[in-house]
This record gives sequence, structure tokens and C-alpha cells, in this order.
Amino acid sequence: MSVVSSTNAKAAGPTRLGGVLVYLRTMALFVLAWYAGSLLVPSKLLLPSPLAVAAALRDTALNGELFGNALISLARLSASMLAAVVIAVPLGLLMGRSRLWNDLLELPVEMLRPIAGIAWIPLALYLFGIGHRLPLFIMFYTAFFPLLVGTAAGAAAVDRRLIAAARTMGLSRSTIMRRVIVPAALPAILVSARLAVAASWTAVVAAELVGAPNGLGYAIEYYRSMLSTPTVMAFIVTIGLLGFLTDKGLRQLSRVLTPWAQTGAAQ
Amino acid sequence: MSTPKIRLDAVSKFFGGSVVAVEKLSLDIRDGEFLAIVGPSGCGKTTVLNMLAGLEPATSGTMMLNGKPIEGPGAERGVMFQDYALFPWRTVRGNVEFGLVYGPAGQGLSPAERTERVERTIEMVGLTGSQEKYPHQLSGGMRQRVALARLMANEPEILLMDEPLAALDAQTRVILQDELLRIWGQDRPAPERRTVVFITHAIDEAVFLADRVAVLSSHPGRLKQIVDINLPRPRGDATRRSGEFARLCQSIWELIREEAYRATMN
Ligand SMILES: Nc1ncnc2c1ncn2[C@@H]1O[C@H](COP(=O)(O)OP(=O)(O)OP(=O)(O)O)[C@@H](O)[C@H]1O
Ligand SMILES: [Mg+2]
Repeated sequence: MSVVSSTNAKAAGPTRLGGVLVYLRTMALFVLAWYAGSLLVPSKLLLPSPLAVAAALRDTALNGELFGNALISLARLSASMLAAVVIAVPLGLLMGRSRLWNDLLELPVEMLRPIAGIAWIPLALYLFGIGHRLPLFIMFYTAFFPLLVGTAAGAAAVDRRLIAAARTMGLSRSTIMRRVIVPAALPAILVSARLAVAASWTAVVAAELVGAPNGLGYAIEYYRSMLSTPTVMAFIVTIGLLGFLTDKGLRQLSRVLTPWAQTGAAQ
Repeated sequence: MSTPKIRLDAVSKFFGGSVVAVEKLSLDIRDGEFLAIVGPSGCGKTTVLNMLAGLEPATSGTMMLNGKPIEGPGAERGVMFQDYALFPWRTVRGNVEFGLVYGPAGQGLSPAERTERVERTIEMVGLTGSQEKYPHQLSGGMRQRVALARLMANEPEILLMDEPLAALDAQTRVILQDELLRIWGQDRPAPERRTVVFITHAIDEAVFLADRVAVLSSHPGRLKQIVDINLPRPRGDATRRSGEFARLCQSIWELIREEAYRATMN
């Protein structure tokens, strides 16, 4: 046992380090290209140099603006994600397993799903005004459909032999739902949660741009109107970084929740 | 014998209108009997088992359990599936204890008794030490033993088993055959035994275990013959070496030989 794990650790060491090196090299190349580009583009307003952006990052980080706005956006994202999970996952399970629920919900879902969340902004402005509720609503809407559809597909695809096995052990329908369908569909649910969070991040900016008095999207719009492109870029970089980190967190979460589904997964 | 435990009367099963998997099968399974079913691949053995389990309806004919029609699955009929159907998100222990924790099989057991039975069953199939492993971390033979343990832990009244020992090495197979006879109740008087329906490809295994061997023919699946196995019980290594044992194996082999050739040639 210990022999196996220590050889594994040895094998994993260099590859993980190698991965970091590749990553750093890619980033370095990207920043270099960016720097060269910024020298060629004459207007600092169009393309500021990476150094200017780094300085803006430092300044906004030091005066608390960066963390304050990031925290607000993160909190909104978490709250709307939570609401979407609480509503979309049970509905998706019902849709995936019951003909009746599927027939009932399929049409409205398929009609609403293609409409981008941000298309509701004008209407939502009337309904909610400017504040927390508008971005919350838009982000909830954006996260809802990937979760619903992914959960329904996952629940519908559960291996019927597993359900048969549970039935021969005398389990009730509701127990089979909780003890067979839900765990069997969990990998699919987690994948759709990642898609939902990624979609929500893209909606953050648009929703906060118009509908909120704070948050990362608001900050971008504010500094755009102040013609401070480096600061705008600093906030954009922050969103990218947060999106990357939340996805990494979710991947880690699925590794912990579904260790049995991780074999051969090249992620 | 009074009323049979299970009665199949002219049971047929068609798939998609044209494929005849089972045709007009009539068979009584007695209470406490160990019945083996043999027959060439594709002759409808699994289909029969699924119908007995209540997982699939018959296309025509009647199936009775204790005099009542079989309308669906029930915990009194435990099934071991040919492809195991283990829960991939549960460890070995999680699979074995599943029916006891979430089904009626565990009612009336204290948590300590439950744990004791689960551990004992895992030990019986030789998987002690692998309790925390997931199915994907096991070999084929180990998975089969988990499936066997999952069925055994529930101690159902009727055991429906689809090639339960097929993936095992010869030694393990012999050990588990003896163990299976013990669980069935070979040492107890006939009325206290469970009822077993046991599908196998191995003729010697069928003869060693069963009271009767039902030989199926293929295309369509029909009952060719039922062979009584009157070897004395309890059976053991002496049984395997006896001349009568060899003679029975030979006569069953002759029954299915032409079927087997026919099925292979097709
Ligand atoms: N769901 C299904 N749909 C269509 N045909 C089926 C289905 N299940 C089984 N069959 C057909 O019914 C016949 C009997 O299949 P079955 O699985 O019962 O055979 P078997 O005796 O268990 O074979 P083996 O020994 O290989 O396990 C086969 O011809 C098979 O192709
Ligand atoms: Mg079969």
C-alpha cells in the first residue's frame, strides 16, 4: 500500500511541476505579446500596457475597491447559484424520471432557454430597479437552464439495471430516487453546475453594468466612463481569475463528491 | 408436494414482436428446491429470470408465486444479475449493506446486527480488506463476489441467480459452491430451506448443486427436459468424484450438445 502511494507521489511530482512550468511559459508569452502590442498601439486608451494594468490592480487592491467589488459579485453569484440549484435540480430530477413532469415543463423550458438572461435586463429594470435584485435575477435565470437541462438528462440516463437491482431489494420509489437516481446522476449534475457558474460569470458583468450600484461589472462601467482603461482591464482580469478559480473549486468539489467517477477523467 | 412455490404456465416472451426469447415454458418450482437452469447462450435463461424477478412481464402465459400472480419485484425474491449491476458510487461495503439499510431486508435488525451480518457476508466471499474499495477498483471476479454478497446479505426467501460464479477461478468457485449449499440449507430439513433458481453454463456445477436441472433449448427458448439429480446430501468432494455424478453430467451434456453446436454454428 505505502509502496504504491509513494511511487504515485514520485510520478505525480514532476508532472505537476511540469504543468506549472508550461502554464507559466504560456502566461509569459501572452504577457510579452500584450506588451509588444501595447507598444505598437499608440493610444493608451485602446490598449494599455500590462505594466499599467498591474499598477491599476495594485492600486485598486490597496484601496480595497478590488476586494470589495469582487466580494459583492461573488456573493451575488453564490446566492443566485444556490437558488438555482435548490429549484432546478429537483425539477430536473422530476423531468428526467417522470413522463408527466417532462410533458408539463418541456415546452416552457425550451421556449425560455434560448433567451439570454441579459435580454431580460430592460424588463427587470422596471420590475426591480437598480440594486441587488436585478443582477440576482439575471444570474439566477442564466444558471437555471443549464442546471435544469443537465440534471434532467443525467437523471434520464441512469442505468436501468441499477434501478432494477434496487427494485428487487424492495426499495420504495422515493428511496430509489434518493439512493439511486440522485447519486447516479450526480456527476452529470456537477458538470451542469460548472456550466451554470461559467454562464453566470458572463452575466455578472452585463447585469451589474446597468442594474447595480456596485460589483465588478459596475466598476468596469464606472472606470470606462472615467476613461481609465488600465483600471477597466484590471477588473476584467479579476473576473477572469475568479471565473477560473470558481471552476477549479467546483472541479475539486466533484472530485470529493464523486471519487468513483474520476477514473480516466482527463481534467 | 402441495402447491408449488413458483408456477410458470405456458409462459412466452417476445421482444419487438418478432424475437421469440421464450416459448410456452411450463415449469413448477417447489418450495425449498434448488433448481438449476442450463442451456446454450441466447436461449432465454436471463429472460426467464427477469420475468421471475418481476422486472419484465410475460408476453403471454401466467406466472404465480405462492398461488398469486407475479406483478412486480419483491424483496422476498433476491436477484443476482449476470452483469452484477453494482452501484458504482458505493464501496464494497456500501453495496453489500444497501438492501439492509434502505430495503425491508434490514427491518428488525439492530445496527450492530446489521454490521455483523455485512462483515460476515463480505468475509464469506473473501473480500475482507477490500471493504472500502469502489467497484471500478476491483477485478471482474471480485465484482462478481460483491454482487453475490449483496444478494446473500439480504437473506431472501427465494434466490434468483444468473451465472453467479462464472467469473471465478476454480478454487474460489468450489468454495463458494459449498457456501451456497450451506446458505440454501442443505444441512436443514427440506421445509426450512430457501428456494434457489440458479442459471449456469457449467453442467458439473448444475449437477453438483441442484435437486433438478432444467435443460433449455434455443431458438426459440423451450424446456427440453428436466433431469432429477438424486445424489445424496450433504454433497461435497466425494460427490464430485462419484461415478453417478459423472454419469449425470454426461447425460445432460448429451442433451444440450446438439443445441450448443446449433447455437454456435448460427
Ligand atoms: N431487451 C431485449 N430486446 C430484444 N431482444 C432481447 C432482449 N433481451 C434478450 N433478447 C433476446 O432474447 C434471447 C434470449 O436472451 P437471454 O439474455 O435471455 O439469453 P441467455 O440464455 O441469458 O444467454 P446467455 O447465456 O448468453 O446469458 C436472445 O436471442 C436475445 O437476443
Ligand atoms: Mg444470460
